Amino acid sequence: MFTPLLTRLGLHTPPSVRDRVRAGMHLHAVLGAIPHLVRLDEEAAATARQMGKVALEFRVFDGPRAVLAFDGGKATLSREGCGNVGLFFPSCDALNRMFDGEKVTPIPFRAFPLHLKALQLLPKLTDRLTVFLKPPAGMLDDPAFLARHVELSLLVGMMATRDLVDYDPKVVRIAHDLPSGTVMFEVIGGPKAHVKIDHGVIEAGAGGLADPSTTVTIKNMGLALGLIQGTVDTFAANGSGDIRASGSLALVDEYFNLFDRVGLYLK
Amino acid sequence: MALYKFDKSNELFQRATAVIPSGISGNKNPAFAVPGSFPYYAVRGEGCRYWDPDGNEYIDFLAGYGPIVLGYNDPVVDAAADVQRKLGTAFNHPTPAAVELAEKLVGMIPLIDWCAFGKNGSDVTAYAVQTAREHTQRRKILKAHGAYHGSQSWCRHGLGGIIESDFEHVLDFIWNDATSVEDIFKKYPGDVAGVIITPYHHPAFADQVMPKPGFLQDLRRICDKYEAALILDDVRAGFRLDIKGSHEYFDFKPDMTCYCKAMANGYAISAACGTNKYKPAASKVFFTGTYYTSAVEQAASLACLDVLKKPETLSHMMKMGTMLQKGLKKAAEDRGLQVTISGPPTLPFMTFTNETNFRRSQVFGGGAARRGVLLHPHHNWFIMHSHTEADIQKTLDVADDCFALVKKEFGG
Repeated sequence: MFTPLLTRLGLHTPPSVRDRVRAGMHLHAVLGAIPHLVRLDEEAAATARQMGKVALEFRVFDGPRAVLAFDGGKATLSREGCGNVGLFFPSCDALNRMFDGEKVTPIPFRAFPLHLKALQLLPKLTDRLTVFLKPPAGMLDDPAFLARHVELSLLVGMMATRDLVDYDPKVVRIAHDLPSGTVMFEVIGGPKAHVKIDHGVIEAGAGGLADPSTTVTIKNMGLALGLIQGTVDTFAANGSGDIRASGSLALVDEYFNLFDRVGLYLK
Repeated sequence: MALYKFDKSNELFQRATAVIPSGISGNKNPAFAVPGSFPYYAVRGEGCRYWDPDGNEYIDFLAGYGPIVLGYNDPVVDAAADVQRKLGTAFNHPTPAAVELAEKLVGMIPLIDWCAFGKNGSDVTAYAVQTAREHTQRRKILKAHGAYHGSQSWCRHGLGGIIESDFEHVLDFIWNDATSVEDIFKKYPGDVAGVIITPYHHPAFADQVMPKPGFLQDLRRICDKYEAALILDDVRAGFRLDIKGSHEYFDFKPDMTCYCKAMANGYAISAACGTNKYKPAASKVFFTGTYYTSAVEQAASLACLDVLKKPETLSHMMKMGTMLQKGLKKAAEDRGLQVTISGPPTLPFMTFTNETNFRRSQVFGGGAARRGVLLHPHHNWFIMHSHTEADIQKTLDVADDCFALVKKEFGG
């Protein structure tokens, strides 16, 4: 509430659009992949179990917030609420630099000793997530690893689209054009994921849907990787049958416009 | 019957993806039809039929997305074009055909005092918008949500290569809701240059919606009240409803009108037309392109409009369209399926009433293409003058087979 006043007094410079979008994606999509990591990876699940019941709140000054909660070896992420333990970042830029691998120390708040163990274990999870999102050479040769890499990367990309709708000026302008409906992505021999669009609000999730508005079937894992990395021409792939879209093509056409933009912010 | 295969289309497409972005750009990309069950390329046409590289023959209801109003290779239009072709085409200057064509359009279309020629619909809708802005010295243009007015950046299709300011001053209203139009005028007092509309609402991926009684006249009243231009984008429907333009068919008075598709039976030409009030502003807008004055297309247009002016031309097309619309409705009902037939008879479209995601339409359209009839699942269709009752009947026979496919796959 004081941010506009501080800005007017020249005591604060609002984040750039790019920093704001990236910060949202880092918290909501990258950190948001941890619940899926815990679901998919036993090593991560074991760490989550060690963390017990705790809610970690991430708060960025003049930026996004998120609460990553653990309970009984499962994890959830929400964009609202409060945690038992808080980590404060003085700017979007600081948060982004940390996600880019720089040493940035957030300011803890509401940190009771009881929950410090959870904080200490968090890097184990984020390191494990990094392995899946930025796999070391050779790891993708393992089909099981590849499947998890594809699923997590797909989910990160899909979750990140929500921050585009909220903060990317070009997308904000067209958010009202987004048709409402559901899109299911299925990789043949691999994972499924879906996205629900309801009047411009996007929710991404793992797994399939019984009756999606649009089904996007991707021929194989390699093509899915290309799609995630932005190296696939979706129109060409569609025409050649590598990607099959059926159902509401207007919906998936608009959604791909967003999905393609995620790569401008997240690498 | 043996279902069509598309091996050569696919082979060409694979080659194309190496040297052409997306293989085929824009709305003609297979992604917008039924990939795998639709032809990707054409090699020749005759009347209402064309053939793809695999030798498959189609009764066509897409008409090149509209320009083929009479039929492929129409002898009258082609003969007129050939005469001019022998004389030459892309000169340093316009030819007398430009003046003759302008005079013909001005004489034919009520309200219109001038016209200027481009190549595509986008050329002339953009020109009309610029003219409205020049005349009013205002910025904002209102269009119906979902309406298509061309591929230029102000129309925003996708996000590629577009910046926010390209469409910052283009605002959407709700079709058939005059209040939503006037609300925008009130929100931006003194800043609305004009309203651009199609004569009826024909967005892709949706049923077509005719104007409610009084809606178009209300737009005229609002534009008069706020001294803004009313632009009719008649690119798709022009001369298919009324040879005097669709504003005559719907009885309203635009300030400027845009034509393209039916002007020359496939020869690349478009026209922006307007009233004298807007002529000074039109003169100030720099409107040109290397081929804007090419004479072959203008000669073709003169001949095409002469054919369209014959009352029996449009009445035949209306009759064929009505036969198709009624026949599809009955065939669907006989199979226990519910379909929505929308649009005027010459620009019909069909969707399945109990779905919004077009899955049934895709099975239907893909099935029809594999049986020799091209009925696009997502885009309105076009009747050509060369469609005959026998063509429509054959189409209905194929449609019946495809309704059976839909029934089998979806149950209803």
